[in-house]
Amino acid sequence: MDINSIANSGWFKVFSDNILTKPEYFISLIVLICYLFLRRPIYETFAGTMKCIIGIMIWNIGSGGLVTTFRPILAGLNDRFKMNAAVIDPYFGLSAANKSLGSLASMVMIALMFAFLWNLLLVAFGKITKIRTLFLTGHIMLQQATTATFIVFFALPDYANATGAIIVGLLVGTYQAVFSNLTVEACNNLTDNAGFAIGHQQMGAVWLTDKIAGKLGNKDKNLDNIKLPKFLSIFNDNVVTAGTLMLVFFGIIMLILGEPYMRLLENPLGKAATGNFAPTLSFAAYIVNRSLTFSVFLFILMSGVRMFVAELTTAFQGISDKFIPGLTPAVDCAATYGFGAKNAVVYGFVFGAIGQFIAIAGLLIFHSPVMIITGFVPVFFDNATLAVFANKRGGVRAATIIPICCGMLQVLGGALAIWFFKAGINGVPLSGGWHGNIDWDTIWPAFGVFANTFKLFGVLALIVAMLVIPQLQYRKNKANYFNQLGDNLDV
Amino acid sequence: MKVLAACGNGMGSSQMIKMKIIKVFKRLEIDVDVDHLSVGEAKSVINSYDMVFVSESLVSNFSNARSKTKIIGLRNLLSEVEIEGKIKEALNIK
Repeated sequence: MDINSIANSGWFKVFSDNILTKPEYFISLIVLICYLFLRRPIYETFAGTMKCIIGIMIWNIGSGGLVTTFRPILAGLNDRFKMNAAVIDPYFGLSAANKSLGSLASMVMIALMFAFLWNLLLVAFGKITKIRTLFLTGHIMLQQATTATFIVFFALPDYANATGAIIVGLLVGTYQAVFSNLTVEACNNLTDNAGFAIGHQQMGAVWLTDKIAGKLGNKDKNLDNIKLPKFLSIFNDNVVTAGTLMLVFFGIIMLILGEPYMRLLENPLGKAATGNFAPTLSFAAYIVNRSLTFSVFLFILMSGVRMFVAELTTAFQGISDKFIPGLTPAVDCAATYGFGAKNAVVYGFVFGAIGQFIAIAGLLIFHSPVMIITGFVPVFFDNATLAVFANKRGGVRAATIIPICCGMLQVLGGALAIWFFKAGINGVPLSGGWHGNIDWDTIWPAFGVFANTFKLFGVLALIVAMLVIPQLQYRKNKANYFNQLGDNLDV
Repeated sequence: MKVLAACGNGMGSSQMIKMKIIKVFKRLEIDVDVDHLSVGEAKSVINSYDMVFVSESLVSNFSNARSKTKIIGLRNLLSEVEIEGKIKEALNIK
């Protein structure tokens, strides 16, 4: 009795049409089951499940809004300059991937669940697998499951179904377990053995940074001695940063496309006007309006994700507490910020942004068919995190060089990924966004290309290859490997 | 008591702080309602909270807090020892 024959039976079709294909109900059902299993009071279970469903519905509104707002700009760039524009940001990437996945979007939830279960299993048998960490950052698990599902379904179209989703889960789960496990030593060095690892989107990059930063600079000449201009503090607020980035990028794009062109686009002849560009509105007002509208939908999207992830994390954390106390939690990269130099975060963001702008200018100069627009999350979080680790080992020089390189790679890797995966799934092209975080501009596109060539065997080979990594880590450091000296072994 | 956990994005870190806070307050047997928000959103509502937990590096965002609202900066967002210590200090209990 295999998965696909179960899938064809009558009652399953009802389940599938009403729950499985609707992420808001499917993942909420999982959360509900977890809560019941954990014997949470019925009224709390009811409330939590409802917040899960509503959170996802809110997220969908934000996501839809982003896609709709971006559409005329995408259309204009494509039409006028034959350019395929995309924002490198996980939320934009999420929306673009989901659009391409279409009705397969809820397969992502299956992948997410199996990724977590697989990680649980790997860490439960940690003495054998040498995996010490459990990836717990809910919103990141969602973003990664989405992009990974997209990549694997693209490379293995025959597996664009529930069976494939389970395989994606194993692949992503392995990445999350192995790479978070890779950051343990770097984190312990930074935090003086606080006892956590990073479960985020730049784990490979953090490991590399920790290895090479010492050679790029002097750790005694570090960011504690540098004063940054006060105005940069506003960029700690994501609403301001997103709004500013959008104003700059879309402002320039719309100015280049020109007023008559944009007016025509929003008020097409013979069709209903979009309502965005009334004849009485000035071009300047239109530009500001459209740019800031992105911030609005991003905010809505993030509110929804936050609401649903709160329930997801509580459920998953509960399950892992019950089965495996005493593991190392892999958490949001921002947990490391308190341990680094106070201005490392903004410093990394600034130089990461510079790196991105340089690369974008390069793409424009060399007439690349893909145009990249900077998105807030990768340019801020990846580069801030790398700056913190770079500064610790290699001071100001490392904290400057590494984010610039990362910024450039984010853009170039992202552009390559968009070009490679352009065709999308089932004829729905990928457009408007790419995940953008550094591991997803380097490691994962490479996985995608490999899987595209070697199909199922390739995916399984990747899983096995990744599982070798912790074994090698253990071999290098047998004595201290399992000593976690944190004061908070309660997860 | 109304407690708020805040972080840059309102996503990962504040979620973590919130879960840890709930655990510690439960252990101290103090009844609390805990919310989590991004720093930007938090700024406009902090005065309706009794205690606000945030990463040490972001404490300067809340200089406009009234004196009745205690702003607690955390170095290690995951350390229940640090959280418990700072709660006890803020509430003047041993």
